[in-house]
Amino acid sequence: MRLGIAYRMYFRYSEPVTESQNEVRVRPLHDEHQQVLSYRLTSRPELQVLPLSDYWGTTVEHLGIRTPHTELELLAEATVETEPRPAPDEAVAAAMLIDPDFQIAHLEFLAPSHHVQWASGDAVERRAASAVAGESAVQGMVRAVVADVRGALAYRQGVTDIGVTLTEVLEGGAGVCQDFAHLATGMLRSAGIPARYVSGYLFAADETAPDAEDSDVVSVQTHAWIEAALPGWGWWALDPTNGGEVGERHVVIGRGRDYGDVPPVRGAFTGSGTAEVDAEVVIGRQDEPQLSPVDGPGPARAEVASPPAPNWRHQQSQQQQ
Amino acid sequence: MGEPSRQQASGLLDRYQPGGAFDEAFDADGAVRGPYRRIVERFRELDIDEVKRLENLVADEFRRQGITFTVYSEEEGTERIWPMDLFPRIIAAAEWDELSRGLSQRVAAMNCFLADLYNGGGQAIADGVVPRWLVVSSQGFERNAVGIRVPHSAHCNIAGIDVVRAADGRYRVLEDNLRSPSGISYVIENRAAMAKACSWLFYDHPVEPTEQYGRMLRSTLESMAPDGRDSPHIVVLTPGIFNSAYFEHAFLARSMGVELVEGRDLVVDDHAVYSRTIEGLVKVDVIYRRIDDDFLDPVAFRPDSTLGVPGLLGALRAGTVTVCNALGNGVVDDKGVYPYVPELIRYYLDEEPIIDNVPTYMMWDPDQRADALARLGELVAKPVGESGGYGVLIGPHATEQELDEARATIEADPRSWIVQELVQLSTVPSLAGDCLEPRHLDLRPFVLTGERTQVFPGGLTRVAMRRGSLIVNSSQGGGSKDTWILAAEAS
Repeated sequence: MRLGIAYRMYFRYSEPVTESQNEVRVRPLHDEHQQVLSYRLTSRPELQVLPLSDYWGTTVEHLGIRTPHTELELLAEATVETEPRPAPDEAVAAAMLIDPDFQIAHLEFLAPSHHVQWASGDAVERRAASAVAGESAVQGMVRAVVADVRGALAYRQGVTDIGVTLTEVLEGGAGVCQDFAHLATGMLRSAGIPARYVSGYLFAADETAPDAEDSDVVSVQTHAWIEAALPGWGWWALDPTNGGEVGERHVVIGRGRDYGDVPPVRGAFTGSGTAEVDAEVVIGRQDEPQLSPVDGPGPARAEVASPPAPNWRHQQSQQQQ
Repeated sequence: MGEPSRQQASGLLDRYQPGGAFDEAFDADGAVRGPYRRIVERFRELDIDEVKRLENLVADEFRRQGITFTVYSEEEGTERIWPMDLFPRIIAAAEWDELSRGLSQRVAAMNCFLADLYNGGGQAIADGVVPRWLVVSSQGFERNAVGIRVPHSAHCNIAGIDVVRAADGRYRVLEDNLRSPSGISYVIENRAAMAKACSWLFYDHPVEPTEQYGRMLRSTLESMAPDGRDSPHIVVLTPGIFNSAYFEHAFLARSMGVELVEGRDLVVDDHAVYSRTIEGLVKVDVIYRRIDDDFLDPVAFRPDSTLGVPGLLGALRAGTVTVCNALGNGVVDDKGVYPYVPELIRYYLDEEPIIDNVPTYMMWDPDQRADALARLGELVAKPVGESGGYGVLIGPHATEQELDEARATIEADPRSWIVQELVQLSTVPSLAGDCLEPRHLDLRPFVLTGERTQVFPGGLTRVAMRRGSLIVNSSQGGGSKDTWILAAEAS
C-alpha cells in the first residue's frame, strides 16, 4: 500500500519564548516491509535540521530557535510503500521462553523500563499471570495478553497523560493507544515474553477499528502498538488498541523499550508564556495528503499547564492527543 | 616558618607499633623504609607541642582559604574544615613509575572499551570478553552516547583510580572513577598548606610539584577540541554553589584561567554551544563538566533538571563541542564491570595488567554467589552503582543480623552487588593524641587523557582517623595527607 503522510506539529505561545530546543522522531523507518520513497522535515520559521540515527535505529532530528518567537510549526512529509508483515504460522512452545540465551539477547525488552514498571505480585503481574495461564504456545500467551488489555481498558482520550503508571492506567480503566501499548508491554514482560513499544502512523480514521471504513484520506494522530519476541521466530507485531494484526496500514517510525525511547516530539523552551500544542497527522492512499489550515480547529488541541520552578518549559505530546 | 630548635627526642614515634598490615614507613622489623628515612628523622626531632602548633597553622590556613568539605550523611549538609595530617605519605620514584604505568594501562583499556561500546559496535561484547547483558543492564550505559564522536577516542579525560596497598605490599585497584572524580583541589591545597606551614620538612626531599595540575588539565582539554581547533574556548560547567564540590570547580576554573559557568550561562544555537558573556555570545569548544549525564540536557535526559543546557545533546551529535568526561562513562564505573577490567587490558592492549584488582566475586554467578555468601562475614559487599563508600558492608564489622539482611538483599538482586576479599589497607604514621600511630590509608591518583595520557605526580591520600578503621572517606570521618612523589635522584 502506498501511503502519503503529513505530520504537522504546531506550537503557539501566549508570550514570546526563546531558546526552544526540540528532538523530533517522526521519520518512517526504512526496513524490509516498509520502503520510504520520500521524506522531508520543514519548519516555520526555517531552521537548521540535524538528522541522526539513535541507539534504537530511529531517525532523530534536532532543531531549535534561540531568538524570541510566538509560534513554531514543523511539517514532516513522507511517502511510504508498505506490505503486510508476516505472522507466525507454527506454534512456538512457551517452554522456549526460559532459554537463557534468548533471555539474555532480549534483556532490554524483558526488564522494567521508565514507563513500563511493575513489581512482583502487583496488579500488572497478577493480571498477566492469569491471562496466560493454560496457554502452551507463546502466540496464545501474547494473544491472551492483548485480549486482556482490551478487556481492562476502554479507549478514551484525555483521561491519562505521559507520566501515568501502569497501575494507575489499570485503576482508571481507560486510556489511549500509548496506554494500551505500555500495559500490554508490561504484562508480556512480567510473563517472561520480551516486548517492545512501536511508535508509528496508522492509516485509519478510527484507531480502535482500522478496518471499519476505507476513506482515502484520514486526519488522525500518531499511533503506538507493540511487538513481542517469539523464540526462534522473531518479533511479532500486534495492535492492542484494536486487538488486530499489524499490517499495511501501520507505518513504523521506531521501536524502543517504551514511549520514552521514541517520543515523536520532545523539547524545552524558555519563557513565561503558556504553550498550545496542535498536532495532526494526515494520511492518504497514494496521493498527496491535504493539510487542514494551520489556524483551523484541529481535532486534538491541548493546553499545556505551566510547570513549576524550572525556567524552561517542556513540550511533548502523547501518542494520541 | 623557620626550622624549630632541635631538642631532645620527644618520643612521637617511640611507641610506634605497626599492626598486621603493611606499614608504609616501617618494615616488619621496625626499620625505617628508604623513602621515609629523612621524614622520620625530622619527626623524631619534634615534640607534640610543636606538632600541634603546626597543625593549627595548617587548619588556620584552610579556614582562611575556605577549604571545606560537606558531610551529607547528617541531617543537612554540614561544612567542615578539611582535615589534613602532617606526616606525609611518600612514594619513591621507582615505585611511582610502576604504579603510573599500571594506571595508564588501565585507563587506556577502559578508554578502548568505552570507544568500542559507543563508537565501535561493541567488539569486546561480540568476542565474549564482557557479557552484553551486563552492559545493557548497567545504569551507567548511556544509549544517547552512541555515535557521538570523541576526539582521540579519549572518553575518559580525567580519571581518579582508587588504589590500596595490601598486606603483601602490592598495590591493587579498589575502584575506578571515570565520571567526575573529585579531590584534586585538596591535593593541591594540602601541598600549599604544608609548604606554607612547614616548608623545612621538604628539605632534602626531591618532591614532585603539584601546582602544574591546572596547566596539565588545560592542555588535556585543549587537545579535546572538535576538529583539532586551535586555542579552543574551554569552560568548566558546575551544578552551582550548592554542590559539595563547588569549591573544586571554582578552583579548577581559576587554575586553568577559564570561565566557570552554570547551565544557564550557556545556550545552543544551530547545534553549537555559546557562552553568554558581556561581549555577547562566544562559541564554546570544550566543556569540562562536573554535572552528571542525566542532568546535562533537559530535552534528552531528565526534564526536571534545571542544571543543564537544552539542546546540548544535539550539539554533541553534531560534533561542534566536546564534553569532558564524555557521556556514558558510568558503565565502566559500574562495579559489575570492574571484575572484567583485567580481561579488557589483555583484550585491547595485549598486555598483562600491571596492577591487579582486589579479588572479586560476581554475585550473578550462582557458584561464586554461594561461596561468597557462605563466608560473607570475612568479606566486603558493595552495591555496584554507588561510590564513596556508600552502602558498603564490611563483613568482620557487621552483626549476624546485618549479614543475614545483606545475604537476602543480594539473593534478591544479584546484578546489583559484588563481594570482595577484605583488603587490610596499608598503614602510615599519623597523629593520634600525643604520638604517631599507624592508620590505614588509600590513594586516589589522577590520570589525564587527551591526545596523550599523563599521570599527575601525586594523588589524594585519605587516611582513617580511628585505630583499626578501614573507612577513609572524608564523608565518613576520614582525613587526608600530603602525598609526596619523589623524583628520581641521580645516584
